[in-house]
Amino acid sequence: MSHELKSGFFFLGLSLLVIWESLRVELGSFMEPGSGFLTLGAGLAICTLSVVLICRGWKVRETQKPFSRRVLLVVASLFIYSLVLNLLGFVLATFFLVGSLFYLGQPRQWWWLIGISALVSALTYLIFGVFLHVYFPRGFLGI
Amino acid sequence: LETIQSLAYGFTVCLTPENLLYCFIGVLLGTLIGVLPGIGPSGTIALLLPLIFHAPAVSAVIMLSGIVYGAQYGGSITSILLNVPGEASSVITCLDGYQMALKGRAGPALGISALGSFIAGTLGVMGLMLFAPTLAKFALRFGPPEFSSLAFMSLTLVTYVSKGSVVKSLIMACVGLTMGMVGMDPITSRTRFTFGVSFLTDGFELVYVAMGLFGLSEVLVNLGQTIKREVLDAKIKNLFPNRQDWKDSAMPIARGTILGFFLGIIPGFGQAIPTFLSYAVEKKLSKHPEKFGTGAIEGVAGPESCNNAASSGTFIPLLSLGIPANPSTAILLGALLILGLQPGPLLISGRPDLFWGLVASMYVGNVMLVLLNLPLIGLWIQMLKIPYSLLYVFIVLLCQIGAYSVNNSVNDVLLINIFGLIGYLMKRYEFEGAPLLLGLVLGPMLESSLRRALMMSDGSPLIFFTRPISAVFLIVSIAFLLTPLFSKERVGKKAIEAED
Repeated sequence: MSHELKSGFFFLGLSLLVIWESLRVELGSFMEPGSGFLTLGAGLAICTLSVVLICRGWKVRETQKPFSRRVLLVVASLFIYSLVLNLLGFVLATFFLVGSLFYLGQPRQWWWLIGISALVSALTYLIFGVFLHVYFPRGFLGI
Repeated sequence: LETIQSLAYGFTVCLTPENLLYCFIGVLLGTLIGVLPGIGPSGTIALLLPLIFHAPAVSAVIMLSGIVYGAQYGGSITSILLNVPGEASSVITCLDGYQMALKGRAGPALGISALGSFIAGTLGVMGLMLFAPTLAKFALRFGPPEFSSLAFMSLTLVTYVSKGSVVKSLIMACVGLTMGMVGMDPITSRTRFTFGVSFLTDGFELVYVAMGLFGLSEVLVNLGQTIKREVLDAKIKNLFPNRQDWKDSAMPIARGTILGFFLGIIPGFGQAIPTFLSYAVEKKLSKHPEKFGTGAIEGVAGPESCNNAASSGTFIPLLSLGIPANPSTAILLGALLILGLQPGPLLISGRPDLFWGLVASMYVGNVMLVLLNLPLIGLWIQMLKIPYSLLYVFIVLLCQIGAYSVNNSVNDVLLINIFGLIGYLMKRYEFEGAPLLLGLVLGPMLESSLRRALMMSDGSPLIFFTRPISAVFLIVSIAFLLTPLFSKERVGKKAIEAED
């Protein structure tokens, strides 16, 4: 399935959702347009354009480039970071994030990773937490 | 005389130690991100949005604007020394700039680029100073029909000049418009598109959408590619161009300035497209067009002046009409709204400290940029040697901390990561972020003015065509919407190529 076909179907689904919600929230009239007036227009436009994409994508055969493993792992690290930030606290969660990001950028010696991660997390805490008064989560260790 | 008095007032605002510091930070960051491939001015402004909550309004705007025009200076350094453009607006500089460097003329190439940028930047600010207040006074005649047609025209132009498929760009603009209307309807107070999710009641905040789509996604895209950087090791000498270089560059600088400034005013053109036109014009007018691409100084002077003048031009619709011309100014518009300012015709008269302080800071900023770019060229070359595998960690970390610090909320960190992933997928599937961002920013203005215009006319859509200014905007929009139908160059170009 080509990129155009996949994205065409995605936006067709999205447009149906937009149209449904626009009709639900009151369309109004030309004399007194309601909350869903302009969004209905946008939804109909997305619907029409996604049909164009589907028609175009139907004819295209293309080889798909695989996702970069490094990008997927970085994205996974970022989502894990946002999920554990409250639990582990800023310093500890940032230590693990920075370590994994440096490793994913270029594999290095473990002592280098630990040292630089500790330094970066401590410095960012000092700059943002202490000097700029950002109230970071403290986590179960209280740091 | 009134303009000179206002400018003098602007200098009193700008020349305070605090504002000078913010101006310096802005142009320094602008040069830095211009030098470093992999993050653009839109991404950087988006990353710095959380910081403006802690800064005075004028200082914050001075700093963010410094990034926009500062990036145009830095972008040429990598084009000339690495054959890798630091910014989209410096792509064309690679053609002759790198060839000059290979021939041992990196110094004059960098020199003419910085000095041409300074001349164009300064003239561009003069243009901004003269045109923006005039346009704002003219725009006081605008009513809801004109504003809705203007917003519609801006969106149409942005989709037309976007890279790739117009169909995809139009989809992005419509998705952006819809996203701009998520949350509470300001007229009826009814919530829409929230689907029971409480944080959507306030709508999508520009901060995390812009940081995700333009900051984080750029990093993810670059991580998926191999960035090879081989800096020319030869010592850079003779930064000041000689008499012949000046003779060859004078007219290209003048033409590039005029072209860039006026095209920069038109929404959608931004800084990159005018540089290609400038290069084409210089090649066409040259007595030796065959020298272009082999190290002609005109091929550096014209486009580099053009992108700086264009960057001044983009501020005119932003400050006088409240209409952003490109993603960077769209994020700046968002910043102005965050700071409690209402961009539009009343901004210049209502907040002269902001407008004239900004104009004065641009004169000062351009001087700072020449001083930063020429004597410190060795430092920027050293910066180029930092591997991306180290640099990206700091950009990503800044994204995460920036998102968190807006509301001290982990949810915002999650949201920026979600939008970063969406931005990455959009780039992979060749969807442009600029129309979406402009749709998001212009959506509320378009909706409220459209609804008010229809109420004014008792429901007659003819009001958009019977008022002359509105009619002109709509005719331009329709012309740009219909043009791709008659041109095989744009619609389905990629699909046809893939089919072949």
